[in-house]
Amino acid sequence: MRSEARIDPKLVEEILKFTRNVVDAPKLVAAPDEINLEVTPHEIAQVIDKTRLLHYKPLTDKQHKTPLLISYALINRYHILDIHPEKSWVRNLLEQGFDVYMLDWGSPTSMDKYLDFDDYVNGYLDSCVEFIKDETSTEKISLQGYCTGATIATAYTALHPENVKNFIATAPVIDGWRDTTVISNLAKHIDVEKMVNTIGNMPPEFMYYCFSVLKPFEQGIEKYVNFFKNIDNKKFVDNFLRVEKWLGDTPPIPGELFKQWIKDIYQDNLLIQNKMFVGGSHIDLKKIDMPLFTQVAVGDHLVSPECSMPLHYAVGSQDKTLRIYPTGHVGMIASSLSQKKVLPELGQWLSERS
Amino acid sequence: MNPQSPKEITDYYKHLSLFWTDLIHLMASKPQALTSTGPMRAFATSSKKIATELIEINEKLMEFNKFYTEYYKQLSDTWSVAQKKVNQKVPDVPHDVEQFEAFKRIWIDIFDNDFTELFDSEKFGENYGKLVSKELELTKHWTNISNVILQSANLPSKEEIDEVYKELHALKKRVTKLEIELKRKKEDKR
Repeated sequence: MRSEARIDPKLVEEILKFTRNVVDAPKLVAAPDEINLEVTPHEIAQVIDKTRLLHYKPLTDKQHKTPLLISYALINRYHILDIHPEKSWVRNLLEQGFDVYMLDWGSPTSMDKYLDFDDYVNGYLDSCVEFIKDETSTEKISLQGYCTGATIATAYTALHPENVKNFIATAPVIDGWRDTTVISNLAKHIDVEKMVNTIGNMPPEFMYYCFSVLKPFEQGIEKYVNFFKNIDNKKFVDNFLRVEKWLGDTPPIPGELFKQWIKDIYQDNLLIQNKMFVGGSHIDLKKIDMPLFTQVAVGDHLVSPECSMPLHYAVGSQDKTLRIYPTGHVGMIASSLSQKKVLPELGQWLSERS
Repeated sequence: MNPQSPKEITDYYKHLSLFWTDLIHLMASKPQALTSTGPMRAFATSSKKIATELIEINEKLMEFNKFYTEYYKQLSDTWSVAQKKVNQKVPDVPHDVEQFEAFKRIWIDIFDNDFTELFDSEKFGENYGKLVSKELELTKHWTNISNVILQSANLPSKEEIDEVYKELHALKKRVTKLEIELKRKKEDKR
């Protein structure tokens, strides 16, 4: 590098301002620990082991007849779908007149290491569906799965199609061999049998590692620089801290579930080949014959579109829609784009079938 | 015996350690047996296990270091190449705010691209998989050592606790199935 000109005083000023912002930050903003992530009012409808079924309070006088259950991912917690009143997936659906339930998988401990795919699909998810059917006196519900939660929901819908009226798959993990993300590369090389036998559950620290290698400099440096630069911008800071708190809340994944997950989805790719078994039952994607709405994000660096889209072509449904959005994995569910485009499209599709 | 390879050396010391701990244990066990309920007796009985585990840890540590070194080599090589690319693209030191912002953007884009390419590569995945595997083997030895100490204090080992968890899980599954069956029968009666 050549250095000849003098440094612009504005640059020095910028650096000094940035330093001041870093020093002033603790006085201006709350610590992530002090932030409550539960935004939209809800009640806890059912508790089984560490899982909770949340039922959101309606925001409209009239509601669609068919209730909607959201099966959130296994990584991090459900709060991202209700992270901020202006960007809340849940609130938007409530405002569109849907009766919304959310399955919170909770935080498994060492004693949950033997929980497997069967427990999640035929145990927790099924009991929530049955509970909602009883509670709302309906024979079928609408089911939405996000990310890994969509994979669980896919297995459930294939095994219990009689309970699902409409199925929405948002960034589902389906075809592991087509996944081009860093996570899939690491997953393919892990001796998952040895990992689970030695340490039990998939530790949250390991999840942190997997996320920290995704866009390491953008995520590891730039976003924190932006945070301190915008420390006076209340809206920006509030949103930043909420998302950061959500990112840091990474519960462990039960060992047996994680083992089957890595082996069947990423290493052997059994689900899309219709070769996967859950609790001794065969998963045949052709049995998914109800209306299907698949949502995929072009810039998804956690679940690549090539991994999600095969679901659209593999199911037996005649009424199926595939939507591709110009955003990322989280942008699809918690951004202004999701409020302006993703949710209105989903709401319209769902209301016509609810 | 003249051990040559690292494995032969490890095996030799393992044998040596086992020979003397076994022999001392046999020679001393009769008077010791009089205090057979105390923690020291329990610890002495299985202390040779700790020696064996420590020797094996040493062996695994050498393998772990091999993959650990390779891991950091891959990171530092990628860093050097990315930095060279940045230097080529931005040969001048930024002097004002706009130039600095542009430099930062280029630096982040090049580094993110190069590192993502590395993390996506077969060579990284393979080495990382082996690194994690060796780390798990070290963890296993550490657990084995902890088990010796736990058992000397009459506390259950990890395997014994795992057995309880497994049994509990199986029982929960059976209860759930029975509850569903009961519910179905009740509904059929209606």
